[in-house]
Amino acid sequence: MSQDRIEQEIVIDASPERVWAVLTEPEHVGQWFGQGKPAPIDLRPGGVMHLDHGEHGEFPTVIVDVDPPRAFSYRWASGYPGETATETNSTLVEFTLAAEGAGTRLKVVESGFTTRTNPADPSPDASYESHTTGWTGVLAELKKRSEKLAA
Amino acid sequence: MTTEPGAAEDVLTALADPTRRLILERLSRRGDATATVLAEELPVSRQAVVKHLAVLDHAGLVTARRDGRERRYQVRPDRLAATARWMNEVAAQWSSRLSVIKRLAETDVPGTPEPRSHVGQGEPTE
Repeated sequence: MSQDRIEQEIVIDASPERVWAVLTEPEHVGQWFGQGKPAPIDLRPGGVMHLDHGEHGEFPTVIVDVDPPRAFSYRWASGYPGETATETNSTLVEFTLAAEGAGTRLKVVESGFTTRTNPADPSPDASYESHTTGWTGVLAELKKRSEKLAA
Repeated sequence: MTTEPGAAEDVLTALADPTRRLILERLSRRGDATATVLAEELPVSRQAVVKHLAVLDHAGLVTARRDGRERRYQVRPDRLAATARWMNEVAAQWSSRLSVIKRLAETDVPGTPEPRSHVGQGEPTE
């Protein structure tokens, strides 16, 4: 299940403290993850950060980890506008900040797309994991094929 | 063409199970197969294979047609391809959010200590 993730990173010419401020201060969050208005944030584990995604709705995300200026994470029920994020309706978004030279390497990982509960699911057979391709491999393979088809 | 996040989640949830990935792999290699044939090849019971196929079917990853007393299954690649595209879109959205964070962090802010970058005053500082 560890491959169930999307990862992106960027190097920023600003200190981790400065990047941390942009990541967590209401007026900045409103800019990079909202509609421009300040996003109300109760910056503590278990606190709620309100994201306004305009026509897509409002998302009360739940903060998981606050470790300035190194790590910030929250749960986001992106498929359920208006619903507070829980373990079963949301993905986990994790930011990590690392000093790099005079700047900061900022990494974001969104994971947990497959943790939604499925009542029809037979018990998992984890012991066969090592013999099979991860789903990201499956997706990559099918993407290649579909691009070939589309070409 | 866009994919509903819910549909993509069904696909990802279906793919999260290693036995189901194995079933998809076997189906795509064989072209099609019945639950009985799959159960002979895999270390799980026919009953378990049937349940896994039902999850794959629900997610739109396989289709079935009657063949005598059994159902023959085959892979439907379109839903998988759409999910791959959806994952790429999500990644692209993060990439653009990170770019905004970068721009905000590198922009001078009134009231904060002098940052390293410069504001254009007609004199390059490099």
